[in-house]
Amino acid sequence: MFKKRQVGRTIAAAVALSVGLALAGCSSTGASSGGDVKGGDYSGPKVTVTFWNGWTGGAAPVLVPKLVAKFNAEHKNIVVKDVPMEWADISAKMPLAIKAGKGPDVAVAHGDDIATYAAQGLLLKDDGILKSLGYSADDFPKGLLADGNYKDAQYGIPWSVTPLGLYVNKDVLKQAGLDPETIPTTKDDYLATLAKLKTAGVQGEWVDGYVFTGTFELESLIWQFGGDLFNDDVTKATFNSDAGVQALTYMTDLIKEGYSPAKVAQDGDFNALVGGKTAFNWNGVWQTTNDALAKDDWTAAAVPQIGSEKAVWSSSTHWIFPSNKGQSKDETAAAATFVKWMNDNSAGWAATGELPAQNSVREDPKLLTDYPKLKPFLDELPYAHYETVAPGITSATATITTALNEAILGKKSPKAALDDAAAKADQLLQQNASQYGG
Amino acid sequence: MPASTVADTLVSAPAPARRTARGSGVRRRTGTAYLFLAPFLVLFCVFVLYPAISGLWISLHIWNPLLPNQPFVGLKNYIDLFVPGSLTSGDFWQSMGNTGIFTIASVPFLLIIPLVVAAMLNQKIRGGAVYRGIFFAPYVLGVAVVGVIWKYLLDPQLGVVNHVLGALGLPSDIPWTVDVPWAWISLVGVTVWWTMGFNTVILLAGLKGISNDLYEAAALDGAGTMRKFFSVTLPGLKPVLAFVTTVTILASANMFGQSYLLTKGGPGHATRTAIMYIADEGLSQNQMGAASAMSYVLFLVLAIISIVNFRLQRDRSQS
Repeated sequence: MFKKRQVGRTIAAAVALSVGLALAGCSSTGASSGGDVKGGDYSGPKVTVTFWNGWTGGAAPVLVPKLVAKFNAEHKNIVVKDVPMEWADISAKMPLAIKAGKGPDVAVAHGDDIATYAAQGLLLKDDGILKSLGYSADDFPKGLLADGNYKDAQYGIPWSVTPLGLYVNKDVLKQAGLDPETIPTTKDDYLATLAKLKTAGVQGEWVDGYVFTGTFELESLIWQFGGDLFNDDVTKATFNSDAGVQALTYMTDLIKEGYSPAKVAQDGDFNALVGGKTAFNWNGVWQTTNDALAKDDWTAAAVPQIGSEKAVWSSSTHWIFPSNKGQSKDETAAAATFVKWMNDNSAGWAATGELPAQNSVREDPKLLTDYPKLKPFLDELPYAHYETVAPGITSATATITTALNEAILGKKSPKAALDDAAAKADQLLQQNASQYGG
Repeated sequence: MPASTVADTLVSAPAPARRTARGSGVRRRTGTAYLFLAPFLVLFCVFVLYPAISGLWISLHIWNPLLPNQPFVGLKNYIDLFVPGSLTSGDFWQSMGNTGIFTIASVPFLLIIPLVVAAMLNQKIRGGAVYRGIFFAPYVLGVAVVGVIWKYLLDPQLGVVNHVLGALGLPSDIPWTVDVPWAWISLVGVTVWWTMGFNTVILLAGLKGISNDLYEAAALDGAGTMRKFFSVTLPGLKPVLAFVTTVTILASANMFGQSYLLTKGGPGHATRTAIMYIADEGLSQNQMGAASAMSYVLFLVLAIISIVNFRLQRDRSQS
């Protein structure tokens, strides 16, 4: 019996050791460095371009195959293969696929993921592609091209932006005896309207403590009060500055004044707008295509200016060119041709509730004829703020939501909540710096 | 989730006392038995043993699967969990505490209610099979469905539950999914509604296994309903009850979906369970090493609880 057990132990130890060795062997693949590939109009031999995107919902699953088919018909030497999958699957699969040489030739990524991918050596630098396609920063909304720039190299070409706006239920304003055509634009007007709504028995803006959409409002306000989320080289959180405290205090005051219920659930803010229980909701441009609003008499406006300057939160998506092991230059060049063509033909993208990034497309008057509700969102773009560019940044920005949630629910004062979150964020930034290189 | 915990229980259950094999005939028979067990052994090695060992290995590294190098750091991931002020310790122990709160709050209900329901269903009542089906029905729903349904019903301002309470003249502004302690009540309530059918069915099967003769004998001795329940039903259920208790404790300790969908772990992180935090650390923040270390600490705690639980049940049945 004793001997048997010992044999068992030896086997177990041997198994453990060999597993360990196998794992160690797996883990030592080097990252490929991004080279410069020229774009322009691709004229080489016929190639297939694999294109990954997270467009699985809304209007996109119909729209994208149409666009891709049209592109393929117009380009005899390029076949684009459209591979839609959940965003979460993309971030899970892409790094390993690229290292194995099985990733896409072109993909779409969110602004806050680009630096994370770039720091891992998963992306080609596309300064050369950008130049050969004739793009410069002026072709996109202010500050957007820089959102795809990490360590002085370009890794993304903008595709779409999705700013926050002020959604208004006009029926609610009418019932409260207010003019539904006069939408407040300043802090004083906004608070005065909320006060009047309160007298009429309506809590005018429901403030929630979740990413959708409390965090977006809080970040907009931090910028409006002259603050920023992080310092310039993203080594320290700055959202607990005076501006941050003012911004969060403004939001908790809405609850204190009775302009908002105290404990709003996730999505409660938007559901209340749809259900005619509240007049205002700060929400993303994507809600313009939400069928839930179809029964309401609603409009959208630019978010009011609460702080000392105009500012609004926006997210963005960008084209990226993965540096697959053994990436073919022809395929990347063909992919670049596809990117330019897609951007040139992106007017229809507004149907998905996102704004095309390319200025020439957005400034075409036809866009507003087709989608008049987008006007206020277009007007906001000159002062929109995009995602922070730093690898692994999403874990640090998530702490802002924790602070918001704690303050909104009265667990901590705005300052204490933000200070605690900033301390945590600093630790996370430090961890990111040590892992991805500062 | 419950399915996987059943497997966990089977795996972590102490092996029955071994009998020494004597004689070649017995040995040949055990050989055949091993042969029949081999397929399971292969699955066990691939899906339990290998991940368990590689998890232990990973927990000794800073293991960011996105990066080319995974530096070895020894026991740092474990030590960090026990050093106040480190990046992980505060959040981890808060989430462990939350898991404890949920387990302690949910397990008694998940044992007592199914026991009472099973005892009632065991009576020869008309439509018993229908009731059994009704009680079991929620269990077939996925956690996503359960989460979405109850998120709508329990919405503090717009939900049906508060609306009904208001119509009855009760407080209609209870923050069911937003603030503690209400969030705990919601999470426990939803979980009990969702999973009690499973325990009920198993306990019912156990009740069916108790011989009617015992009840008759007890009745002849003059035992009433209560006396029969405590002197015949409960002792007869002991082995089944031990299994159900262990499975329920492990399932509650592994709670993830309900918090994730109903409360998002809020307010702050007050309802974020250990599994939720481990998943976030490992899969969202890509800190597989730290997450693996946390998994091992959680595993250790659950293993101790399971062993204590089995010991207690065994001692009771021996006395």
